Amino acid sequence: MEQVKCFMPQTLQEALEIRKEYHATILAGGSDLMVSKSMGAGITPAFTGPVLILTGVKELKGIRKNADGSVSIGALTTSAEISRSELVHPLLIDAASRMGAIALRNSATIGGNIGNASPKGDMPQPLILLDAELVLKSVDGERRMKVDDFILGSKKTALWDDEIITEVILPPQDFTHIFYRKIGMRRANAISKLTLSAAATVKDGVVVDFRASSGAAGPKVARSRAAEELLIGKKLSELPAVKEEFLDAWNGVISPHAMPEYRRNSTRRMLAYFIDALAAGHPAGRVE
Amino acid sequence: MAATKIGDKIRRVDAVQKARGEAKYVCDLTFPDMQYAYMVRSTVPRGKILNISLPEFPEGYDFISAKDIPAKGRNELWMIAKDWRCFADEYVLYVGETIGLVVGPDRGVLKELRSKIKIDYEEQTPAVTIDDGINCVGGPMFPEKNSNVMCELFCEKGRPMEEVFAEADEVFEETITTPYQEHVHLETNSAIADYEDGKFVFYASAQCPFYIRKSIAGLLDVPYDDIIVRQQTTGGAFGGKEHFPDVLCGALLVAENKIRKPIKMVFDREEDTQFSVKRHPSKCVYKSAIKDGRVIGVQGHIYYNCGAYLASSYVVLQRGVFHANGVYTFPNTYLKGEGIGTNTFPTCAFRGFGAPQTLFAIETHLDHIARHLGVDPLEFKMKHLCKKGDETTTNGHIIEEVKLPEMIDVLTKESDYWRKAKEYKPGCGKGIGVAMYNHGGAFTGNGEQAIIKAHSLLVKKGDKVTILVGSTEMGQGFKTALRKICASTLGISIDNVDYPDPDTSKVVDSGPTAASRSTMIVGRLVERAALQMKERWNEGDFSVEVEYEHPEGYPWDQSTFRGDAYLGYGWGAAIIEVEADKLTNEIKTVGIWTSHEIGKAIDELIVHGQINGGVIQSLGYGSMEKLENRKGFFKQKSMSDYVIPTSMDFPKQFYHIQENPYPWGPYGAKGMGELVFNGASAAFVDAVERALDTRFTSIPIPPEDIEEALKNVQ
Repeated sequence: MEQVKCFMPQTLQEALEIRKEYHATILAGGSDLMVSKSMGAGITPAFTGPVLILTGVKELKGIRKNADGSVSIGALTTSAEISRSELVHPLLIDAASRMGAIALRNSATIGGNIGNASPKGDMPQPLILLDAELVLKSVDGERRMKVDDFILGSKKTALWDDEIITEVILPPQDFTHIFYRKIGMRRANAISKLTLSAAATVKDGVVVDFRASSGAAGPKVARSRAAEELLIGKKLSELPAVKEEFLDAWNGVISPHAMPEYRRNSTRRMLAYFIDALAAGHPAGRVE
Repeated sequence: MAATKIGDKIRRVDAVQKARGEAKYVCDLTFPDMQYAYMVRSTVPRGKILNISLPEFPEGYDFISAKDIPAKGRNELWMIAKDWRCFADEYVLYVGETIGLVVGPDRGVLKELRSKIKIDYEEQTPAVTIDDGINCVGGPMFPEKNSNVMCELFCEKGRPMEEVFAEADEVFEETITTPYQEHVHLETNSAIADYEDGKFVFYASAQCPFYIRKSIAGLLDVPYDDIIVRQQTTGGAFGGKEHFPDVLCGALLVAENKIRKPIKMVFDREEDTQFSVKRHPSKCVYKSAIKDGRVIGVQGHIYYNCGAYLASSYVVLQRGVFHANGVYTFPNTYLKGEGIGTNTFPTCAFRGFGAPQTLFAIETHLDHIARHLGVDPLEFKMKHLCKKGDETTTNGHIIEEVKLPEMIDVLTKESDYWRKAKEYKPGCGKGIGVAMYNHGGAFTGNGEQAIIKAHSLLVKKGDKVTILVGSTEMGQGFKTALRKICASTLGISIDNVDYPDPDTSKVVDSGPTAASRSTMIVGRLVERAALQMKERWNEGDFSVEVEYEHPEGYPWDQSTFRGDAYLGYGWGAAIIEVEADKLTNEIKTVGIWTSHEIGKAIDELIVHGQINGGVIQSLGYGSMEKLENRKGFFKQKSMSDYVIPTSMDFPKQFYHIQENPYPWGPYGAKGMGELVFNGASAAFVDAVERALDTRFTSIPIPPEDIEEALKNVQ
């Protein structure tokens, strides 16, 4: 079998140069790629072109708070590190801490989870709700893009072939209420059947912000600003009246193919539950 | 060293080695000039092979198939039946059927060669489900009988069922189905063939080394002694390595006969999931006559999906039929079983061996009748509980005291069953469920005497004793249990007793490691040999061999299935409490209480481990383990889509062990490895039915199936 070139740079600059020259496949934690390229025990994985292993690039690791209140997460930061962080939004911690098994969370990275763009990926779902942005770097410059714009569909992204995801930026949020559920095939170490995040900001009895996102709901995470608008600006007392309209709108957003009845109904029941909790004056915090 | 006592809690003799990763499994073994093999398998469920075109094979690489079986050999694996072909030739009967092996030194090259083999088929319509098989979809598999029925039996007791139904106040009929289940043993199937000193030698991950020898010798028509099987550390089996290693070793034997170099075959997890034997799916049609609030007659028609070959299925079906009445005595019964052939991977042994299907069905059926009558299911079941001396469905008798009432007392107190059963209103989101079950120990009827005739051999050298038997450790703890029985009988330390992995050229045949018979039967044989050895202890170095003796006075007729099917049963009861999430239909199990009567626990630590493992495996079977066959292909292909429970899915369980010494077992012990699997799934479903006020007639019940059931109720 043919040998492929394999690079293990130590600095981002080196990595960007290799990426520019070879358009090499980027391998971060390897938890998706090493499975999809596996040929079985004792056989070299079937990569078809050069591979760029980023593990040694320390600049891309770690979480820090920025002056403007946003939080930057290096692309090579693992799910385990995210789930232990006090800087990261709780919805992202929920997603990171329920990903796969412990061993996987110690190796899978946030950059990889976004770059792989699996419809069942755990972290893009809250990231899209949080309006998270990505920093995409190349030798020639830098772009910034919302995760929602970056992921185009199942396994499809807007990444150029000379770029590397270097950073995820979480803008500051001040939701008063959040809700997260992951439904897997079992309680731990499971791929998502369905995930849902919802968040709201209630001020003086008025919903000033409302967001939701559904994972494993179609080719990519489903979020509908049009549906969210139906609730934003409403008084809590008006929520019951608009709830069904919102739920119908949301139902229209999730993919009919990916969402058979059970997932569709569960999503509806969970969103209804969250809205009912808001309407009933649920104290600020997490709606369980 | 202090003498080991039977009451001591012993740390498993293999624990440290396994925990440290030092145990050597087949995949860890390497030999000089090692070759590898992969199977070339059928990709259609039913069809004629029109042509096999091979790419050019480099030197040192071979394609082995039916053509390589010598003229005097027979292309058959002798399991219990002999119908399983080692290599499919001319036609294929299921997806995954072995057509050939690619053999050579480099695994990458082998996989590439395999991908270039092109096989043309004339495809035929497959029968996949039990109903397909009953209806002979695609044409009968046995044209001479115009049917797909591979095996059948019935047993009856009391009066004709028509009479019983006619006098009933009401007749309650329902169909209950159970699914495929994959073993998911930690270590996948694997074997190495070698040619050493004029013998074919196998290093295998296997439960039954002597089975392999018997099964494959006919391929070359060589005497058994020309084949040596050396069992290696085996990382779990659950029945999946009872007969299935024959499929690997048979093909390897044909290759070894030609190549004469060590050849290793290790299945990847995806191969093991898709292309190995499974638990039999079942369809149980129960019709019960009810009079004055009691069941006066049960008619059960039981169908098992056997896949494409009979192999061991007839025996599995028999056990299913013999357990089809659960732990109850009904005055009139008629139970019929049919093994249905389909174009799917053959089904075979899996912990419980046919009993879990019918036990699930009868428990669930009785729950439904009880609720229909407005009675608590446990109260209803207790009214029908069998007791010592009762006539069984095979016209034999319950030979032992049935301790279930005492066990249920313990469990209902510990779980607060009676209060919760009343307080948790149907559909309130909380539920508590119960099931009772048993498992006949060892081979059915007089099989131990008529078929197996097990031996045990002890060899004394100085103050050390070696146990030389064919029984295997596969993770269940038997090495510890058997050494402990031997040591405590002799009054020496367990450290002075050795029990090496069996090598068929060195040990006596103590029968298969299956049927919950090892402790009960082989343990007793070793105890008897040890008692003899103890009397002669000062005679120097010598050995003692003993043979199985069947207790007198318990007749069994294997041709009519009448008599005492089992001399001793293990008995069990499980109570499960759940909470349902009404948003998502996710079920959280919040309590597990079990009691098991196994005669006597040879080692409480091992027994506790078995109880935990078996009960959780049963809960996985009932709740989440979904394995579907679509058009002949298993839909679930790996451990990410076929999920088994983790420690996060179920809470710590309360366990109780009921003593009831068994006169013919070592220290009073009976079998227990399968019993612990047989009932928790029914208790779980009962609990969920109560929590959601609905009814299930099939398992597993993941949230989407619960959604479906709730919709149907509304």
